[in-house]
Amino acid sequence: MKFSSLLTTLSVASLAVFANAAIDPEMEGMEPVSRDDGTFLIGGPTYYFDRILGAGGLHSESELWTPAKVNNRLLFNRMSVLPSWDPMEPSVWVKTGNELGDMIYQDVITEYDRPSNRTPILEGGFRTPSFKGFWATARGFQDDHYSSRTSNYRHKMVSDEFAIFGENYPMFSSIYGGLGFTNDFVNAYALAGEEYLWEYAESSRWIPVHMKPRVQGHVDFWNLALNVAYEHAEYQDVRVKESGERDEVNGSVLYSCGAECQKGIFQISAGMAFRFVSDEGDVYTGLDNDRVLWPFMQLRVQPLRWLRADVMFGMNDSDWLVQDSIEMGSPFPVKGMGVTVGVKNISGTRLNPLADDVEYFTMKGVSDDIDLAPDGQMNLVQAYLAFADTVASVSLGGRATFWAEHGAETFDVDGFVEDGDFEFRYGDVARINSWIKGITGELWIDAWLEDMFKFRALAGFERIDGPMERFEVSPAEYFVAFTGDWLIRKSFRVSHSLRFRSDAQWNLRGHDPLVVKGDWYWDATFEQQFPRLGLYLTGTLIHVLADEVVQVPNGDYDRIRFVCTVKKTF
Amino acid sequence: MKLKLILSAAVLCLATMPFAQDSLAVKPEAKPADVVMANPADSAFSKVYVSIEGGEMYPFGDLQDAVENAFYGGVGLRYSYWDDFDGFVHFNYAYVKVRAEGIPFPGVHQFVGRLGLDWHWKQLRPLAVGAGFTCNWTRADSDDDVDYYSGRGGMLLDNETEFGWFARVNMPFLYFKDFTAGLNVLWEELWTLPERSNMLTVGFYIERRVW
Repeated sequence: MKFSSLLTTLSVASLAVFANAAIDPEMEGMEPVSRDDGTFLIGGPTYYFDRILGAGGLHSESELWTPAKVNNRLLFNRMSVLPSWDPMEPSVWVKTGNELGDMIYQDVITEYDRPSNRTPILEGGFRTPSFKGFWATARGFQDDHYSSRTSNYRHKMVSDEFAIFGENYPMFSSIYGGLGFTNDFVNAYALAGEEYLWEYAESSRWIPVHMKPRVQGHVDFWNLALNVAYEHAEYQDVRVKESGERDEVNGSVLYSCGAECQKGIFQISAGMAFRFVSDEGDVYTGLDNDRVLWPFMQLRVQPLRWLRADVMFGMNDSDWLVQDSIEMGSPFPVKGMGVTVGVKNISGTRLNPLADDVEYFTMKGVSDDIDLAPDGQMNLVQAYLAFADTVASVSLGGRATFWAEHGAETFDVDGFVEDGDFEFRYGDVARINSWIKGITGELWIDAWLEDMFKFRALAGFERIDGPMERFEVSPAEYFVAFTGDWLIRKSFRVSHSLRFRSDAQWNLRGHDPLVVKGDWYWDATFEQQFPRLGLYLTGTLIHVLADEVVQVPNGDYDRIRFVCTVKKTF
Repeated sequence: MKLKLILSAAVLCLATMPFAQDSLAVKPEAKPADVVMANPADSAFSKVYVSIEGGEMYPFGDLQDAVENAFYGGVGLRYSYWDDFDGFVHFNYAYVKVRAEGIPFPGVHQFVGRLGLDWHWKQLRPLAVGAGFTCNWTRADSDDDVDYYSGRGGMLLDNETEFGWFARVNMPFLYFKDFTAGLNVLWEELWTLPERSNMLTVGFYIERRVW
């Protein structure tokens, strides 16, 4: 292995040791469901808390804006892959699934303790092969999982079924179609469609957003990428006769360091993300000045093959954010072995400077403007040491980190409001203006027998010292995971993932903390492949073994799911 | 109970190992066709059969208190996958009469789709053993405008779907030109609550080779 690639491998490992790509997610963007190298608590497809154990700090990964997420969707204050409008590769596909536990014939003999309704997942779409560079695409997708516990409450807020299809009040439902053109120089497409979303707000409310239309355009040319979306969003709460609208234009323009640029010592990328909004009537969040412009720059300096420094810096009239790291490998490479030491820093006034600045909270006589942009700044520093050693068909790796964070974001609760079976909070996003310190350790073993199969065992722990009662989430202290992947006769894929995560706890979203008990999870994907035909028949079981629990306050039960997909590539 | 399930998962992880033969190209669709020439699945669809099938479904366990035995009819497609494995897809329909008292409809429309693999172990030929996933879609035979109520049977007034798994034995016993007659015996478990639902299905089929 070349040393530079080993350095890259270790760098990737330092960000996410748990590469569990073999388990198919129930939908694009829901990969954290099958991860446990940290604290991953799922409230539904439009909200999850995803904190990687070795990443340091208290925030969840999707709360932090990075240049890599410029094309992600902004759902309240999170950058989310789902619901993705990135066109798929040329293919036609159908997906369906269900939360397991519908009664079918048990229905007629079950008098008491009747299970609630289980809800499905649906997706269908296509992208044509290129015809002289032109192609067409369409996709309809919605995830009804995680909807039944709150649907009775949510459906009173809206005037119709709030979905493209069905009456389960899914957390999102999206449909789009469009045309594109791709050749050696240009990749461009325009899409238009409609979308229903429930966004999880700081108050723990689910806010219904109906976008009609939503239009998105994208152009890649040379080293430039332009992405622009127009959204006409309708808001409503029919219980109190509220309705409002938001017209929004958002997107980004990005210059990336190309192939020639990457040969140099200084590698520079730059871009700007933007949002312009115009609100009318009753809306539930607000953006200062109705706009945000976010210019940013990335710089990589690699003076020696074993030394690398990265910095990302963004700033506008109200916020700034810096993410930088210095990473060093051994100057004297040893075959099969690598050691990396590094430090990284995240400082800024907001984790996500593109998010709205205020949530308007009115409920049961309480009226409050929840400030989402706290004063001051946060500083996170982290030092880490990672190593990997490969002997024959066994690889042993590990990483140890120490991190300290000052000014971590939290929520100062002014009070709670109970409505129906649920509890909501008001107050302001604030900071913990003292140092929180943590140490982490992770160890993994990879084993493979020639090219026949791949196995990984990994474990990690973390100890945090700080005012735990002010943490939004007290993360899990340890995890252990085993994955095994086979490709039988090159055409039948079987992937397993068996994991355990210790307790995690929500501290601030209710009078009483919500403890998410530690549990075992088993996921498995089975796939018949016909490579010559480009045909793939896939079935995936998700979260077998685990107890059905609520992982996020006001969220829904995490249940065993089965999802199957038929896909034909062109 | 949970320990038992964890051990079962671990055993299943290991059980697939003897079949592992080659590299973990997780997304081989990215490869050009000539790279995958040697793939054992290249023989897929070299033989294709269509079939009609009829038989009876027998509920097991507490499901016997819920519904009666039911006749079913359906169609199938079988295709060569590897030299010693076939893939198959089945769809069938059954009208399932309710046995339980006090249910406001006489029966349930049931559509079933199955996807699985048959293994032609040479020690067992011509028998084949197979397994796969099943999807069961049901709806009550009711003209009532109410699409849901909270009592027994209420959820079936709306569409209900559940997945499960099955194992089967395929016993062909008569061959004539391109036609084959045989017997399918299939054990099926649906992942329902509060209990799993088990059924035995026995059916005769007539199959015609398409190519």
